Amino acid sequence: MRRVIGEVCVAVLLVAAILAASFLAPTESTMGHAQRLVYIHVPVAWFDLLAFLAMGVCGIVYLARRDLKWDHGFQAAAEVGWLCCGLTLVTGSLWAHEAWGTWWEWDPRLTTTFILWAIYSGVLLVRSGIEDPHHRARVGAVLAILGALDVPLVIVATRWFRGMHPVAPEMTPSMRVALLTGVVGFTVFFLFLARGRYEQLESENGVLELRRQMEG
Amino acid sequence: MTQTHLPLRAHELTKHYGSRTILRRVSLQIEAGETIALQGGNGAGKTTLLRCLAAITRPTRGAVWWFGHPAYGDPKVRRYVGMVGHESRLYPHLTLGENLTFAGRMHGIDRPIRRAERLLAEIGLAEHGHRLPTQISRGMVQRVAVARALVHHPPILLLDEPFSGLDVEGRAWLMGTLARLRDMGCAICFSSHDETVAEILADRVCELRCGRLYELGGERRDDARREDQRVLARVA
Amino acid sequence: MTRVAKISACWREWPERRESLRRMAGFWWIVHKDLVSEFRSRRVWPAMLLLGIVVALLFSIQMNLLPEQKRQILGGLLWLSVFFAGTSLFDRSFALEREDGCQGALQLLPVGPGTVFLAKLTVNALALLALEGLLIPLFFILSDLSLGAHAGPLLLIAVLASPAPAAVGTLVSGLAVGQGRGGLLVLVVLPLAVPVLLAAAECTRLALESRLDEVWWRWLQLLGAFAVIFVAAGVLLFEYVIED
Repeated sequence: MRRVIGEVCVAVLLVAAILAASFLAPTESTMGHAQRLVYIHVPVAWFDLLAFLAMGVCGIVYLARRDLKWDHGFQAAAEVGWLCCGLTLVTGSLWAHEAWGTWWEWDPRLTTTFILWAIYSGVLLVRSGIEDPHHRARVGAVLAILGALDVPLVIVATRWFRGMHPVAPEMTPSMRVALLTGVVGFTVFFLFLARGRYEQLESENGVLELRRQMEG
Repeated sequence: MTQTHLPLRAHELTKHYGSRTILRRVSLQIEAGETIALQGGNGAGKTTLLRCLAAITRPTRGAVWWFGHPAYGDPKVRRYVGMVGHESRLYPHLTLGENLTFAGRMHGIDRPIRRAERLLAEIGLAEHGHRLPTQISRGMVQRVAVARALVHHPPILLLDEPFSGLDVEGRAWLMGTLARLRDMGCAICFSSHDETVAEILADRVCELRCGRLYELGGERRDDARREDQRVLARVA
Repeated sequence: MTRVAKISACWREWPERRESLRRMAGFWWIVHKDLVSEFRSRRVWPAMLLLGIVVALLFSIQMNLLPEQKRQILGGLLWLSVFFAGTSLFDRSFALEREDGCQGALQLLPVGPGTVFLAKLTVNALALLALEGLLIPLFFILSDLSLGAHAGPLLLIAVLASPAPAAVGTLVSGLAVGQGRGGLLVLVVLPLAVPVLLAAAECTRLALESRLDEVWWRWLQLLGAFAVIFVAAGVLLFEYVIED
């Protein structure tokens, strides 16, 4: 029952986020409707960083405790994070095409996100080829920790290359509300996705354990 | 460093590889001067067990102690253990002498070059010291691999199929060496397909079946052992 | 039994040396062993150097530019070539140890994983330096710029830019043990090394334009920071990389 209530809440928040982006926020004067991409772009961009952080934390805890539970969290965060990172690149690129007249710029944040995406993809690919769960967990943890150390340096390096990404543009109050609703709605939604994936991985592992016990 | 600690103690080792279970709650103790033979079919987990005992493979659950020191701790305690693996693990581009010298240096023994020369002489390859492992026969490589495991006088010796690839003479040499080490107080554990070798050398014979360890034994082996001691005396 | 116990007790008396000294010796002998092996077998360095030369030539075919334009892009091309050729090095360094089945032998030695990592890192960093020593003069010859005027700053950049990618490469290539998917791991090394690439390229550009000001100094600091962070991370993480 609690589960159903939770799912309804997620659905309501997600719908609210979409409605707020579509109707609550005013149409921006210079860019028109294209500006509404921001209400998706910012939440997914925020979530991919969050997921990356979660991967690093899960990796460290796994290495310390050797409990596969943490690796399932890692995998869930990595998959959802990879999705968000891809969405960030796509929405950002669409927006840039409207705003700057170009699909891609070697701007610090774009570059950072792109590198993040490459690391996510590499980690997922490498992990998919490893059969033993503990070996897989170790590889993921080491790579995620390296990645987490790398990101601040990437940000510094690319920032010194002079950027053009808007940092905190002017916004009307209704825009702010729409953006906030978007961040909350999408974050809850992706957390929900990640939790679902985590539970799936946990029950897969549970089945494996049961089979082991039956075999003796 | 007290006398109360057994050379090797393994407690409830369990190892999973993916969905497969290689070892199930294997416990094992070896006393000083005791030799244990591991038997079991292919894929029974002999290699995995030996690797766990040598702290090369980390068991999923369970722990190993050498003389009371946890095997996965300070790397210094690795000096207690000598291991001869499935493959020779000699560096193919270092000569036999250099391979032994390298191992000796890494273990921090005194005068590693002289020690390497002496070991080569002991295994009857004194004049082959400058050759590469790829230039000599499989049996000779196996001898060098054993010599390398002994370079630092380990009180625990683990051997994975040490008799495979050895000719009759090589087997006699290795059996004599192991018997001598055992008499000096070395704790030895080796795996072997060959039951006669196990019967002659081992104080206890254990069998791995489906990841579990069973001890074979009883009086029958004691009689056989006495008989085989005589055989060994004749061979060596 | 008492006799046996006594003998085995004697066996356990090791010559106690100073621990740091023993570690240094272990480090040095692994480096020595790897360099001797490579010198005799020539399995990694020649292929890497050749790849570097080929990439450098391919890049320079495109360089039909004015001298000031060349100064602008030379740094980027130089370091891209170094990184591409370097990946073949990372790919092979542990593959070799694996092929010979020697990984286990290394794990049996009474030296900590940090020491093994530093030794492997040193060998890889030396290889990278050799590659840079070849490619930097080559690029200058091909682009017709004078190397002599910029030798000092470039040497500094090369020395600072080598440890970090070598550390990441050593660490990540160690992960591939038993997988046969080393190529994929190299895919991860390149994005991780992007900051070094950017910093080294910028440093080189500024050096070629003879602008050794505080901006240049800042980029150099970034290179140094990167090297320190990743070498330290490697020392701490290598334990998890090589275990089986």
